[in-house]
Amino acid sequence: MVDSIATKRIESQMQKRILNGILAVLKVFGIILLFIVVTALVIAFFLYFVTLDNAYLLIPASFGFFGLMMLIVYFAKIPIGYNLRNLVVRYRTTLLTSVAFILVTGVLTGLMGFINGLKRLAQATGNPSNVIVLSQGSTEEAVSNLAFESMGDIAQQDGVERKNDEPLCSRESYLVLSLPIAEPVPGSPTRRLMQVRGLFDPVASAQVHDFDLLPGGEWFSEAGVRPNADTNKAPLVEVVLGQGIARQLAGDRSKAVKENARNKDQLEIGDTIPLDTRELLVTGIMKTEGTTFDSEVWAKQSVIGPLLGKTNFTTLVLRATNPEQAQKLEDFFMGKDKDFKYEKSQVNAFTETNYYKSQSQTSVQLLIGTILVATVMGFGGVMGVMNTMFAAISQRVKDIGMLRLLGFSRWRILVSFLMESLLIALLGGLIGCVLGFLCNGLQATSIIGGGAGPGGKAVVFRVVVDWGVLGIGLTLSMLMGFVGGLIPAMSAMRFKPLESLRG
Amino acid sequence: MKFLMLIFKNLRRNMVRSMLTSAGIMVLVFVITLIWSILGFLDMATSEKAANFKGIVTEKWSIPSQLPFSYASTLENGAAREESDEKPMDSMTWQFFIGSVDKNVMGFNTFIFAFCMEPKKLLTMMDELDSLQPGPRAELDVAIKAMEQNRQGIIIGQKRLAAIDKKVGDRIKVFGINYRDIELECEIVGTFPPGRYDNNTCINRDYLNASLDAYKASKGKPHPLAEKTLNLVWVKVPTKDAFTKMSGQIDNSPMFAAPPVKIETASSGVSNFLAAYKDLLMILRYLLAPAIIITLTVVISNAISINVRERRKEMAVLKVIGFQPNQIIFLVLGEAILLGVVAGAISSIGTYYFVNRVLRGIPFQIAFFSSFPVLDGALWWGAAIGFITSFAGSILPALSTRSIKVADVFSKVA
Repeated sequence: MVDSIATKRIESQMQKRILNGILAVLKVFGIILLFIVVTALVIAFFLYFVTLDNAYLLIPASFGFFGLMMLIVYFAKIPIGYNLRNLVVRYRTTLLTSVAFILVTGVLTGLMGFINGLKRLAQATGNPSNVIVLSQGSTEEAVSNLAFESMGDIAQQDGVERKNDEPLCSRESYLVLSLPIAEPVPGSPTRRLMQVRGLFDPVASAQVHDFDLLPGGEWFSEAGVRPNADTNKAPLVEVVLGQGIARQLAGDRSKAVKENARNKDQLEIGDTIPLDTRELLVTGIMKTEGTTFDSEVWAKQSVIGPLLGKTNFTTLVLRATNPEQAQKLEDFFMGKDKDFKYEKSQVNAFTETNYYKSQSQTSVQLLIGTILVATVMGFGGVMGVMNTMFAAISQRVKDIGMLRLLGFSRWRILVSFLMESLLIALLGGLIGCVLGFLCNGLQATSIIGGGAGPGGKAVVFRVVVDWGVLGIGLTLSMLMGFVGGLIPAMSAMRFKPLESLRG
Repeated sequence: MKFLMLIFKNLRRNMVRSMLTSAGIMVLVFVITLIWSILGFLDMATSEKAANFKGIVTEKWSIPSQLPFSYASTLENGAAREESDEKPMDSMTWQFFIGSVDKNVMGFNTFIFAFCMEPKKLLTMMDELDSLQPGPRAELDVAIKAMEQNRQGIIIGQKRLAAIDKKVGDRIKVFGINYRDIELECEIVGTFPPGRYDNNTCINRDYLNASLDAYKASKGKPHPLAEKTLNLVWVKVPTKDAFTKMSGQIDNSPMFAAPPVKIETASSGVSNFLAAYKDLLMILRYLLAPAIIITLTVVISNAISINVRERRKEMAVLKVIGFQPNQIIFLVLGEAILLGVVAGAISSIGTYYFVNRVLRGIPFQIAFFSSFPVLDGALWWGAAIGFITSFAGSILPALSTRSIKVADVFSKVA
């Protein structure tokens, strides 16, 4: 009899343990499921409604949400002082939990700043009145191959601006050069990829692209070369550089050359760049900061083309009379209107703004990767804050019971504990945003491209941590605090006063 | 054993906390596994091999390299002129054909990027394909034989095949983008094993060269790229010395004056190409991965600190019944490490199988790599990360148990 009762008790205990285990697993799976649903909604929200351009609205939204919560706290007479004191008393846990928020927000804002810089670069490049013409099917200059004989006729079409009775256009040959680095650091690359644009007429090209030279510079001559002081050597090839590439090439020089250089940080007018048996002479530096042309070297096509084995043209850039006309030209060359289309040859044409917009596919890929990484890191942060809040609640069961007896309703208890986790999130988020902001303005290199296939352009740009990026960082932090605090706060809300007081 | 059981029981006592901490560890280890796999793969691609390594011969200055096809036979022979000169163990030529299955659109669903080469070299010179398991090797061999018999036969990677919505046996027309006015009518005779070549295509080089000849015959003049069709030549050499000797032969050969050529090791070539991604890779390596590891440590530390604080009474009882302070420290450390190691191992091993078997690689485009496998190291990374972060996160809370004084704890209870 005693054995039977003991056995039943053991069985009952075992069942209870198993049940508790299953309930705990279900609870965590429920939390994970909730998080996945919230994450999916957030990703959808970011991808469809929030672009980096209007993400700054998230800052007032975050503070607005926090302000709303504070108003509720004020009017509902929620004992927020009690929560604040708890955060201060348990300062170690508060700080440790904040660290997770700081890291996630800091890394996210830094990464978003990188992507924002790339996106800004692609957006800032290109004039809406310009039309880029590439060979049929090509979406990138690197693989374009335009027939020279058709370029003249394309440039003569109506809608192209004329100057001195000539169409305003730029005939270009885009190529990438693999330039050896003078004294490479062991283990790092031995060559640099340098983008060279061979131009038919540099002055016309400068007008089409709206670039000026920095004071003291001059465009290359009609010949594209000038005599070398050492008459035994081949003539110098005249080039003008973007500001970014001028800085990068300065770093690639040998120690001896750097020591004697007039400017150690940037190539200057009159400096030379060795290219096998030839030398490139810098005759000017273009004001190209913030555009993809910042990473380019421009030279006379008739000189640089044969020198590098690329005699064909890749690109024709037309200056239309206005942006509307540019769009019409794009439609005309792409044959969008069956009754009014260019039929002499088949080409691909894009307004310059559309073209560079398509080149930001790389940033889209990076953006998706970053959102996923931030989400997963955020999940870690949520687990951290949930642990903290569950522990805080389990230690304060009697307090909750007392509050309930004093007349605080369930939802007030919920808001009270939710505010505690939101305060941690706000603190961590703000510090994280400050850390992320330290990346603002740093120079970085990357590739932009259309996404399909090889190619893409190596670009130099600056990391941009603006209000939009900070808004995304702060929102993520607040969201982590909200999700991480909601479930523990809901559990606190369910405590019954008398049972809580009994412990 | 009893000690281990005690650790298990303690973890089971607060299941929600154990599960939440495990879930946090798992997701963070998942991200680290992905990041380290990408970085590890790129490190392998850019590290020098000691023997049997490959050299790439390209145009000296321009990218993409465009050499006359007349260079091919001499370069495939390592530019050897004398009997005593170094000759490659094996070699292959690559001609890139970029095209679209839709004449007017080059997009993700129409795009074809093909290596035009000798089909038989796929099994002897292409990375990973040269070390296939017998089953997939035999399947690829069948496709290669079909390509040799029918020069219009092509092999397409599985993801690309799905993207263009075709299957083995279908015929497609590929409209040249870099080779303007060249249209190749091809028959899909096989596909690459899943993995690295999922998005690539292989075309028989004889077919491309014949199409260029046909262009000349029909138009009365050579194709504009006729003298620029050879993009790369790969040579396999046994040792570094052999590579150095062959470099000299190629550099000094009068055959390659216009345009000049250069030879570099495959790892050096890849490394140079990845230079533009330097900052992105640095962010992954030195910012993201450490930040995740610190977050992980903080999450564990937080959970264990709370745990220790809640169990001060219990630890005082343990001391009363004879547990030494060090044993209590080991108990706390043991709980954290067990949680960390098990959750970490489950996450990284799970990631290894899920990504490699189901997703067939991490889909992330960096240079010419479109997807990355999760490396074999992932099988132990998770356990190691779990061990290190849980140890680092729990050591201070564990040491704090030494300060628990039985008298203090029970005086409060009383």
